[in-house]
Amino acid sequence: MVPEEIVTLLQIFLFPGFLFLFFLAFFSEWVDRKLVAKFQNRYGPLYTGPKGILQPVADFFKLLAKEDIIPTATDKTVFSIVPILVLALSMAPLFLIPMIDFSALVWFEGDLIVIMSITTLVIIAMFMGAWASTDRFSTIGGMRVGLQMLGYEIPMTIAMIGPAISSKSLSVSGIVQSQAGGLWYAITQPLGFAIAMICLLAHLQKVPFDVPEAESEIVAGWMVEFSGKKLALLRLAKNFELVLAGSLLVSLYLGGPLGFWLPHPSFYFFLKLIVCIFIFSNLRALFARFRIDQVLMGAWKYLTPLALLQIILVVI
Amino acid sequence: MAIRIPFGPQHPALKEPINFMCEVSDEKVLSVRPRLGYIHRGIERLAEERTYNQDLYLIERICGICSFAHVTCFSQAVEEVLNIEIPPRAKYIRTILAEMERIQNHFLWLGDVGHEMGFNTLFMYSWRDREVVLRLLETISGKRVNYAMNTIGGVRRDITPTVIESLERGLDRLEERAKYYKEVCAKDPTVLGRTVGVGVLSPIDALDLCAVGPTIRASGISRDVRADDPYAAYNEIPFRVITYDGCDVASRIMVRLDEILESVSIIRYALDNLPNGDVRVRVPRRVPEGEAVSLVEAPRGENLHYVRADGTEKPVRVKVRAPTLANIPPLCKMLVGGSIADIPVVVAGIDPCIACAERVAFVDTATEKRWVWNKEELRGYAKKWYQKK
Amino acid sequence: MAMEKELMKNLTKKPITLRYPSEKATPVEGIRAKVAWDIEKCIGCGLCPQVCPSKAIELTGKGSEAEITYYLDRCLFCGECVDICPTKTIKTTSEFELAFTSRKETTIYYKRSTISPDSTEESH
Repeated sequence: MVPEEIVTLLQIFLFPGFLFLFFLAFFSEWVDRKLVAKFQNRYGPLYTGPKGILQPVADFFKLLAKEDIIPTATDKTVFSIVPILVLALSMAPLFLIPMIDFSALVWFEGDLIVIMSITTLVIIAMFMGAWASTDRFSTIGGMRVGLQMLGYEIPMTIAMIGPAISSKSLSVSGIVQSQAGGLWYAITQPLGFAIAMICLLAHLQKVPFDVPEAESEIVAGWMVEFSGKKLALLRLAKNFELVLAGSLLVSLYLGGPLGFWLPHPSFYFFLKLIVCIFIFSNLRALFARFRIDQVLMGAWKYLTPLALLQIILVVI
Repeated sequence: MAIRIPFGPQHPALKEPINFMCEVSDEKVLSVRPRLGYIHRGIERLAEERTYNQDLYLIERICGICSFAHVTCFSQAVEEVLNIEIPPRAKYIRTILAEMERIQNHFLWLGDVGHEMGFNTLFMYSWRDREVVLRLLETISGKRVNYAMNTIGGVRRDITPTVIESLERGLDRLEERAKYYKEVCAKDPTVLGRTVGVGVLSPIDALDLCAVGPTIRASGISRDVRADDPYAAYNEIPFRVITYDGCDVASRIMVRLDEILESVSIIRYALDNLPNGDVRVRVPRRVPEGEAVSLVEAPRGENLHYVRADGTEKPVRVKVRAPTLANIPPLCKMLVGGSIADIPVVVAGIDPCIACAERVAFVDTATEKRWVWNKEELRGYAKKWYQKK
Repeated sequence: MAMEKELMKNLTKKPITLRYPSEKATPVEGIRAKVAWDIEKCIGCGLCPQVCPSKAIELTGKGSEAEITYYLDRCLFCGECVDICPTKTIKTTSEFELAFTSRKETTIYYKRSTISPDSTEESH
């Protein structure tokens, strides 16, 4: 029998650990780009690999090989650490989410709180990166990142607490397991599901909430001075965040890897993740970009009261 | 804390280089200073080295999108100096091509505004529909841009009945798509949130600062060269001048979409009533002494050309005043008081074509004197300056 | 919100873009593309270099010995030379894919066959 430690090590590094997560991140970026292209009546990535599936990998390696320019006015230590920090912080919560089994690789009571605080830390790291860049455009982008977080953070937290109250457990794996007997929470708490989806879209900084990274207004916003390897790591971190957002929605509201007729639970997780990415891409192709004051007003006038209403309905 | 942000000359939102030095504080724009001159190509000087017929191809390339308006303006000015009248069939063909260029420009502009707002789907869809117009223009003239159809004395090619058939089919599709975009832009909440109340230009400011084109028509003032001073066949074709009262970017979108529908009906009327006959008359190579000004309603506004001739086969002076140059002072007024996020939307809202708008004038900032030099004076000044070095 | 129906319809439609180079757009009849000379019919009148707006044609020699040099990278494809030629020597072809990888290929020489009976061909 293979000793327990070797199995755990293999699980951490291969499946469902680092290697599997890398492939999942590249795959989800490909799905997103192909779906948006299909909605816009064009092809999307086509020539690299069959149906363009190797395009995100090619983009990653191309960026790794480019020149890495560090402007003289930046705060060099912070500037160099921020991409690694953002990547690590966005990859860490993925180990706490059950993907191939009914409990994750690492789980304990309260890991939902850890996930929520790590998502906030990611935004703070982005703000640090924008401030350390010392550039006019990145300063404006950094301020917008912070402002947007003030808007959506509270409704997102409240929407994630809803399933925790119903399942009487503060662990993601516990929430998944408590959906095994009855209905998924997306059906019993539809308002919370919609609010979680909108707030996760704001966390991912995708249209209509891509104000911090508005391409036509402030060039690349807070990422404007990063280039070469640092930009490669930042883009990879964005893909991991997409996977994280999808997995959170799937686990908290759609029942995680639960289902009836397919052989292995991980197929369900995969299918539901693709459905979530489909919804994100649909919303991305459908709307124009909001202004920052409209985001804040909408978040505080509509999202927060509705999230509180959902909690009241759950408790009653 | 006021910081100064340079918008341009290299910016993803701009299609052509222009620089706006904006002073902002906390997402509010306090003041704007424009700077032109990054794409000056010396076209007015080059036009003095070529014959009138060769100048047509040079004038066509002042701008890629409103090229037919520039050529029509120039040909009309030279025809006025020559004192000849072009055949009626040529006038109708010029009208049809000018209206098709207007449709093509407005679809391109709709995609541009969508891209500035982050609405990439609108961008992709409207450029897909623009391909219908470009294909029709290719069947008429042989090229998708810079059609090479005008000549002094008429047009170079005729419209055959097969072309007329394909035109009718294409026009149906364009009308349907324009109506769909009108509905989308009037109802979609994100588009309305980004365009209503943004870039406001009151009617008094519009008249004071001499705005032209759809920018002034969206402030409720009815100014259109096709109605005020008709050229080509516009005095025989009935059409409406579209105005809206909103004074903001949303009204400008509506004005342009309605103009597409109006252009479709103008083309249909012109095709039904196309007179028979020749399409060009012979003109002499040497143009007698004289000067003329001609006005044309380009898709972006009022376009003005001035030509002076002295009996040889090359012009003495050609002067172009493009519509975007007249729209830049109102633009600076519109940007102040808005937020940074509104800058690209408002700049795209006036339909900027900076390549049309580059002219040279001399200003002495100490004594506030302004003047314009001709060829000999400029050469004399250059000789003196190099001798002093 | 307003575009949702069209987005859903586009999921099942074929994309409108073409996969170049395996799918190409067909040129229309009457397209203004590269021009070609039938050098045996040329009478050397010298009108085409005079009328060209961008000096893309050069005529060497006189009368029926005249030879033409055509600079493809200066040509505007306006068709003025086609209109003005008195013997209809110049014709418009429909070749529009004119991207080359070396500068030499953009100059086309039309020479007459004076000695050998082979017909002239364009040479680069």
